[in-house]
Amino acid sequence: MKNILTAVLVAGAFVIGIPAANAISEAEIKKDIEEFQNFFLKRFPGVTLADYSDGVNALPQYAERRANWELLMEFPPYETEMDKAAEEWAKPFANGKSFDDCNLAAGNVYPVYDAATDDLRTLVGDINACLKANGEKPIKNVKVGKMARLIAHYRAQFNGQPMAVDYSQAGAQKWYEKGRQFYWAKRGQLNFSCANCHVQNAGNKIRGDVLSPGLGHTSGFPVYRTKWAVAGKPWGTIHRRYGGCNKQVRAKPFKAQGTEYKALELYEAVMNTGVPLKVPSQRQ
Amino acid sequence: MAVTKMKIKKDKSGGHVVMVLVKHPMETGNRKDKKTGKKVPAHFVKTMVFTHNGTAVAQANLGPAVSKNPLTQILLTNSNSGDTVSVQWTDNQGKTGGTEATIK
Amino acid sequence: MKRRVFLKGSFAAGTIAVAAAAGLLTPRRLLAASWPETAFGAKNESDAVKALFGDTPVVDSDAISIKAPLQAENGAVVPIKAWTSLSDAESIAIVVEKNPAPWATSVDVMPGAGGLYSTRIKMGQTSPVTCYVKAGGKVHKAAHVVKVTVGGCGG
Repeated sequence: MKNILTAVLVAGAFVIGIPAANAISEAEIKKDIEEFQNFFLKRFPGVTLADYSDGVNALPQYAERRANWELLMEFPPYETEMDKAAEEWAKPFANGKSFDDCNLAAGNVYPVYDAATDDLRTLVGDINACLKANGEKPIKNVKVGKMARLIAHYRAQFNGQPMAVDYSQAGAQKWYEKGRQFYWAKRGQLNFSCANCHVQNAGNKIRGDVLSPGLGHTSGFPVYRTKWAVAGKPWGTIHRRYGGCNKQVRAKPFKAQGTEYKALELYEAVMNTGVPLKVPSQRQ
Repeated sequence: MAVTKMKIKKDKSGGHVVMVLVKHPMETGNRKDKKTGKKVPAHFVKTMVFTHNGTAVAQANLGPAVSKNPLTQILLTNSNSGDTVSVQWTDNQGKTGGTEATIK
Repeated sequence: MKRRVFLKGSFAAGTIAVAAAAGLLTPRRLLAASWPETAFGAKNESDAVKALFGDTPVVDSDAISIKAPLQAENGAVVPIKAWTSLSDAESIAIVVEKNPAPWATSVDVMPGAGGLYSTRIKMGQTSPVTCYVKAGGKVHKAAHVVKVTVGGCGG
C-alpha cells in the first residue's frame, strides 16, 4: 500500500490561510470551486465534468471495473427497489395528502440555506418535516431503507440537471466554511482528512478498492451498494457514507443530519457545481 | 415478498434479449443469522421457464451460487413485435412467481 | 390417417415425433424439465460436467465468448455473460472450478432461444469460470479467470 501520509497538501492554494471566524466570500467560494474542479480535470485528462457522476467508474485506468459496472447497469440491481420507492412515494397520508404536496426544493439544489432558522435544509430533513407537518410519524432511520428510497425517487426526477447549490447568502457561506474545514481537517487514529484520500489520493488503490475522486461525490446519492446489499441494507444516504468513512479512519462518526455532516454535505455539493445528477448510483 | 421484473431489448442479431430480475434472497443454507446464531435455511430459485407466444423455449436452472436478486438473460432468435414472453419460476421451498411482457 | 414416422439419427429418449398428415417431418426436441440435482451436488468440476453431459466428448472452442470481469468488484455479485456462435446450442452451463459446488447455473434451450446466457454468480475466490455449451452432439467449452478480492472500503 502506498504511503498516503504525505504531510504537505498537494495544492496549498486550496486552503485560504486561517480564515477570520467563519467568513468567506462568494468570490472566494467560486475560486475554490474552480481550483477543486481543475485539480481533478488535470489529474484525469479525458474525464469530463459530467463523467464524474460515475465516480470511480469514470477513471480510465479502471476500464475493467467500469466494464463490470456496465454489466450490472444493464439491469441495475436497484430497479425493483425503485419500483417500491415509487409506490411508497405515491401512497397518501392519513389526511389525504402525499409527498407530492411537500414543500421541497429541486433535487439539484440541496442543501438549501434557510435564513429564518439559520440552518441548512437537506432533502432528508425536508421529507421528515413534511411527514410531521402532515401528522405522520417521521422516519427514524434516516440513513437506509425507506428514507433512502424516497429521496432516490425524488432526486431521480432531476437526473441530468447540474448540481446548483446557492451560496450567495452570508449564512450559507458560514456553513460552507464549516464544511470546508471539516473536509480538510485530519481526524481519527489514522489521522486522515477527507482530502487525503479523495483529493490527494483520488484514483489510487486502498487495499482492494479504489479511492473515488471528491469531485462528483454528492451527485449520485443515495447509493445502492453490492457490499451493503449482501449484508441486507443495500441503500445508503450520503450521511450514512460519511459515518462509515469516519469510522474507517478510526474517528468517531457524527450523527446523521447533524450539523457536521450537513455542513460537509454543503461543501461537497458546492464543489460539485455543474456535475449532473445521476441518481441512484450502483456501486461495489 | 418476491418481485419479478422483465425487460425485453432488441438485439442486433434481429432477435430480442429477455432480461428477468427476481427479487429473491438466494440463501445457500450456510449463512448464520447474526442474531440467532442459527443457519438460515437454503432458499433459492431453482427453475425459470421462459415461454414465447405460449411455447416453452428455455429453462434456466439456478442454484444457490447464483447471486441474490438474480438477473437472468436469454436470447430469443425468432421473435417479433407483438409477441408475448413470459417467465415462471419455482424455488426450492416450492414458492413460485413470474411475469410476462409483450415485445414492443 | 395418422402414421408414425420413425426418424433416423439420434434423438433424446421419448421424443418420437408423430407426423400428422399435414406433415411434421423433423424431430422436435422437448425442453428438458428437470433441475440438475446431481450436477448441483458435485463437489468438483469434472463430476459436475459428467453429471450434466455424461460421456459426451468435451472440446475447447473459440465459438464461445465470455464477458466477465477480470477482477470482480465483489465476489457476491459477479456478472457473467456467455454467448456462442454455434447455431445448434441446446444448453449452456456455467461452472466455477474453485467454488465448493462448482455447478452454478445452466440453461436448456429450444431452437428459437439460444446462444446467450447471462447471469450473476457468487464466487468464493479467484477461479476460472467455464462456460460449457452442448451443441451438435459435442460439448464445447471456454474459460475466463475471474480474480476475487475483498473490497477495501466499506462503511
